[in-house]
Amino acid sequence: MRNIGKITALAALLLSTAAIAHADTLTLEPGKEVNMVLLPKFLGILVFDQANEGAQEAHKELSNPGKLEFLGPTPENSVAGQIEIMTTATTQKQGAVMLSNNAGDQIAPAAKAAQDGGTKVVTWDSPIPSGEGESIFVAQVDFASIGVVMADMAHSILGGAGEMAVLSATPDASNQNAWIEAMKKALAADAKYKDIKLVDVVYGDDQAEVSYSRALALVDKYPNLGLIMSPTTVGIQAAAKAMQDEGLCDKIKVSGLGLPSEMVSYTLNGCAPEFALWDFRDLGYLTYYTAYGLASGQMKGEVGETFKAGRMGEYTIEADPGRANAKRILMGPFTVYNKSNVEAAAK
Amino acid sequence: MKSRLYSWEGLLLVTFLIIFAFNTITQPQFLTVSNQINMFQLSIEKLIVVLVMAFIIINAEIDLSVGSMMGLSACAFGWSFQHGLDPALAIVLCLAIGAAGGALNGFFVAYMGLPSLVVTLATLIGFRGLARVMVEDRGITNFPDWFDAIGQQGFIGPVPFALVCFVIMFAVAWIVLEHSGFGRKTYVIGSNRHVADFAGIHVRRHKLIIFTLAGVVSAFAGLLYAARVGAVRGDVANGFELDIITIVLLGGASIFGGSGTLVGTGLAILIVLNLRNGMSLHNVTGHLQTGVIGILLIASVLGPRLQWPRRLGAARQR
Repeated sequence: MRNIGKITALAALLLSTAAIAHADTLTLEPGKEVNMVLLPKFLGILVFDQANEGAQEAHKELSNPGKLEFLGPTPENSVAGQIEIMTTATTQKQGAVMLSNNAGDQIAPAAKAAQDGGTKVVTWDSPIPSGEGESIFVAQVDFASIGVVMADMAHSILGGAGEMAVLSATPDASNQNAWIEAMKKALAADAKYKDIKLVDVVYGDDQAEVSYSRALALVDKYPNLGLIMSPTTVGIQAAAKAMQDEGLCDKIKVSGLGLPSEMVSYTLNGCAPEFALWDFRDLGYLTYYTAYGLASGQMKGEVGETFKAGRMGEYTIEADPGRANAKRILMGPFTVYNKSNVEAAAK
Repeated sequence: MKSRLYSWEGLLLVTFLIIFAFNTITQPQFLTVSNQINMFQLSIEKLIVVLVMAFIIINAEIDLSVGSMMGLSACAFGWSFQHGLDPALAIVLCLAIGAAGGALNGFFVAYMGLPSLVVTLATLIGFRGLARVMVEDRGITNFPDWFDAIGQQGFIGPVPFALVCFVIMFAVAWIVLEHSGFGRKTYVIGSNRHVADFAGIHVRRHKLIIFTLAGVVSAFAGLLYAARVGAVRGDVANGFELDIITIVLLGGASIFGGSGTLVGTGLAILIVLNLRNGMSLHNVTGHLQTGVIGILLIASVLGPRLQWPRRLGAARQR
């Protein structure tokens, strides 16, 4: 009986997916005039500049006669600055604000006011936790899949067996903790990982020097350590540099989430043979398409709506499994970088 | 002395009018009611604390802990709300925390004779630490609707509650500072503490009162911030003290105490707000905006100094 129920549910799911797939895929009409603002957490960070490149690419491709502004606060003033830019965008009657949120729920009243004033709010990279005031979140990857990707990289680097330690950012960074948990789950879920032993989780506070010394401390503490896994771009670079400086790269490898431009030398010299990340140019590009579709009135922003995002193909709006009443578009998947592709990506 | 201040205020007025005219001409949205209200509303909590900071600086002290106190008050509200305390009671509790924290600063400065720079630097760290311990970076939201409405909706027509408070507090502060015995004592103590002692002024009590007031007003401002953004986090109002002190100094108050007026402070508020708003409307944000405000501060410190040699003799005689 239970099986029949499952099969029926599965069939229904398949049918509905099929129905969605066959529903008209929206191709956005170019040339509509929409002014938009790309609002990162703060200025001066490489990945946000890359997102801007992607958005500018889409802006040209859709030959939008309006303006695309890349505006952000300074790191010290991030929260108040984001609220101010959101409010000013409302006053300016911008068509859409694309926000990588750093203000938590504090931005929600300003985002709601923007929506009331006719300015769409599309989040990317980091959503508004409550979902209030937000049209859609363009998610870079499914946060659960990050665990599997890290487990697989560990498996391939360690050759299936060995000791591994995690170098994270801060003990209370919610995304980091979620990713480490996901990796532990992935390691426990499949027998092929049974010889990989996670010996410790340490924190480098997302500061290069702290991460560097934590990585060296791990080496002293665990003589049989084979891999340091760091799911943060600061940690992975610091750990790779530490292993390189100490001449330990033959014995201890580094992996995790890193930026190709920062990791390219370590990948080529073998200190960090494999690491993963999503492409921020693609994220900016997809976010732009989404915001353009909404602000030009061509997309309604409802669950199940499918549209074509230029070179990246088709995407469908779905309910966000992590946040009640919120909608997302899942970009995915990860790009895993190694010797064969890191140089091209680092440019 | 008087003419120097008048000329500084005159310069501020001219600067303000130039910026105002530039904004009006170049940005059609600038003079709309909603933009003018937003312009004040985006910084309103800082502006409220500026008023009490003027008293502190004129009194030849400094309070670096105001931003942390705003954060502590907002987080204490969020924390007690999360733990089921009646929000109205939580507001009273937060104001009490403000009074206690301010009195702590005042006690160490006035009665233990420690420099306010050191004392309030310590409480800047201490208050912020408490706020972070209570709330961390998790964020607390979903406050009662009436509380959010205080910060997010119009109180008199489209004018929000915080802006009404600011206008009333500005008037009160002006009367107290420039037309009351308390205000005169503030200037006298700030110019020369020993003279004030000899004149029989209760210098210690005066300082204690001013620091306690700074605590209460900062706590109140923190609550207004929580209402405006509808959520709190451990880093609420982080670094606000610098903007607050900047405005007071730009207004012509001397960091060595004894001089400064609320008219000058009011003009400095208008200059900073109009400059920021104008730049934002012109899509100038981030480091460039911070840089322009920084240049303004340097000018405001240098400006009066450039006239100093000529006035030195007069000041000495005083």
